[in-house]
Amino acid sequence: MIETAEVKDRIREYILEEFAKSKGINQIADDEMLTANGILDSMGIFRLVAFLEDTFNVRVGDEEITNDNLESVDAIERLVTSKTRK
Amino acid sequence: MAYLLPQLLKKSAQAFPEKVAVWARGRSLSYRELEEGSNQLAHLLGKLGVKKGDRVGLFFPKSVESVISMLGVLKAGGVYVPLDPQAPASRAGYILGNCGIRILITNREKRQALGAAALASVEHCILTDQEETGKAGGVLEDAVLEWSSLGHFPLSYAPEVAMTEGDLAYILYTSGSTGEPKGVMLSHRNALTFVDWCAGEFRLSSDDRLCNHAPLHFDLSVFDIYNALEAGAAVYLITEDLALFPASLASFIESQRITIWYSVPSALTLLLLHGRLTAEKMKSLRVILFAGEVFPLKYLRELAEMAPGAELYNLYGPTETNVCTFYKVERDRLAKLDKLPIGIACANTEAFLITDDGWLARPGESGELCVRGPSVTHGYWGDEEKTQTMVVPNHLQTAFEEKIYRTGDMATLGADGNFYFGGRRDRMIKSRGYRIELGEIESALLSHAAVREAAALAVPDEIVGNRIRAVVCLHPTGPMPGVDLPQRILALQQHCASRLPPYMIPESIDFCAELPKTSTGKIDRIKLAAAG
Repeated sequence: MIETAEVKDRIREYILEEFAKSKGINQIADDEMLTANGILDSMGIFRLVAFLEDTFNVRVGDEEITNDNLESVDAIERLVTSKTRK
Repeated sequence: MAYLLPQLLKKSAQAFPEKVAVWARGRSLSYRELEEGSNQLAHLLGKLGVKKGDRVGLFFPKSVESVISMLGVLKAGGVYVPLDPQAPASRAGYILGNCGIRILITNREKRQALGAAALASVEHCILTDQEETGKAGGVLEDAVLEWSSLGHFPLSYAPEVAMTEGDLAYILYTSGSTGEPKGVMLSHRNALTFVDWCAGEFRLSSDDRLCNHAPLHFDLSVFDIYNALEAGAAVYLITEDLALFPASLASFIESQRITIWYSVPSALTLLLLHGRLTAEKMKSLRVILFAGEVFPLKYLRELAEMAPGAELYNLYGPTETNVCTFYKVERDRLAKLDKLPIGIACANTEAFLITDDGWLARPGESGELCVRGPSVTHGYWGDEEKTQTMVVPNHLQTAFEEKIYRTGDMATLGADGNFYFGGRRDRMIKSRGYRIELGEIESALLSHAAVREAAALAVPDEIVGNRIRAVVCLHPTGPMPGVDLPQRILALQQHCASRLPPYMIPESIDFCAELPKTSTGKIDRIKLAAAG
C-alpha cells in the first residue's frame, strides 16, 4: 500500500509537469482549485484520468469524473485511495 | 419592439417578476432582482462618471453578477467589455488600456492578479465578491468599491440616458494576427438583429430553460443571455465545475430539464464520448445549436440518435456578424451527407461569395463569404486601418454606399441552395471554437530574447478541432541553446503564458537550426506541417 503523502506527491508532480508549469504556475497547494483557475481544461481532465488509471492501477468511470473528485490534489488523492483500499 | 437590449429585460421583468431569470453556481436571480440590481448598478456607474459610449470592463468568473453587470452597464449608456477571466495580466491589461477602461467590475483575486501595471488606466474597481466583515467605505471616494454600495441607489428605475439602436453595446476582443487582440464593436442593433431572428426561428417562450456554456467574452453567449431575457425564460450559466465534467453536465441537463443548448461542437463531442448519455437524459432538449467550428459528421449523427426529439442547427458566423447563416439539420439527409452545410442567410442578412477576381461566384465556384446587413460590426476599436480592410464598400453595386464584411472564410454554394464552408483565406484557426491567429502566437514566441524565428502550426484534431504546435529556431549565441530540451520548451510555454490565454499556448514545441523557406523567402509552412 502506498502512503497518502506519496500518492499526493505523484499527483502533484504530474499536474505540475503536464499542465501547470506550461501555464506559468510553478507550485500548487494540495487544496488549490485546479479547475477554477484554468490549470486543467476539458481535455486535460481526461489525460489526468488516464494517468491515474495507469499509475495507480485503478479504473475511473465516466460517472466518477466530477468536480468533487478532481477539483484539487487532496480530492484526487481521496478518489485514488478509496479505490486502492478496496 | 425593443431597440435597446435592456428593454428586453424591462418587458420580461414586468411580465414575470418572480420567475427565475439567471442561475449560476446554485444561486438564482428572479427577473425583478435582475431588473433592480442592474438599475442600481447603472446609477452607481452614472455617479462614477460613466456616460454614453464609455467602456466598462468585466473581469471575473461567470456568476449571476455577470448578467447584472452587463445589463447595468448598458442601462448607464455604457459599453461592456467582457475579458477572458483566464487571460494573463499582460493581455487583460492591454485590453483595458486599448479601449480606455476607467471602471472595472472584478473580484478580489482577479484584481490582485492584474497588478498595478495592468490597472494603470482604471480609476475605480467594483468588487463582486463578499467584503470582509466590519469593513465599511464611502461610495464614491474609494478607488475600490464593494458590491454592497449598490444598496445606496434606487432600484425601481434606471437612469435616463438618451440612446439609439446604433449606439455601441459591447466590445468582444478576439485574437489579432499582428500580435495584439482586437476589439470587435457591436451595437444594440447588431445584437438585436440576431436576437430577433433567433426568437422567431427557435420559437422561444417563457417556459424555455437555456444553458450558457460559452464564456461571456465569446459571442455564443449573446444568444443565451439575451434570448432568455427576450422570452422571459431562465438561463443557467455553466461554470467550470460543470463544463469540464461531461457526466455531471449530462446529469445537469436532465435534472434542470434544459430545453435549449448552444455550444461549440467539441463540448457536444465530449458529452457524447464521456457523458454517459442516454436518450432519457437528453429528453428535455428541444433545440440543440452549435457553432464556432466544424462538427464532425460522425459525432453529429450520434447526437441525432441520442436526441431524437431535438431540432439540430449548425450556426455559422464570425463575431463581426454574429450568426449570419444557419443550417437546420435534415435528419433524413444526415446518413448520406458527406459535408455539413453552413446553410442559408439569416433574416435581414445577405450573404454572398466573391471570387479572387472580384466577381460574384457562380454556383459550385469557391469565393470569400461576404456579409451585409444590420448584424455587421461597426469595426474594430481604435483600429481604423483594420476596420477598412475588413468592413469594405460593396464594389458590386455602386448605386448607393453600403458596407460589407469580408469574413476571410472561403465557401461554395451547393446545388441544394446551401453554403458550404471551405477553409480560411488567412492564418486564423479554430480550437474548441476559439479564434486563434497563428500570427499572434508567433509574435509571443518572437518576443522571447532567445528566439530568432518561430512558426505556429495547427494540427487537426477530431475532438477540439485543432491543436497548436510551434517550430522555433533559436539565436545561436543566445541564452538558450545550452539548456536541455524539456526546460527550453517549458521556458517558451511559460513566456507564452504570460502573454496569451491558455488555449493559445503551443502544446508542443520543436526546434530546428533554420525554418524551411519558400523561393520568395517566406517561411514554408506546407513543408513544416508535412515534417510534423
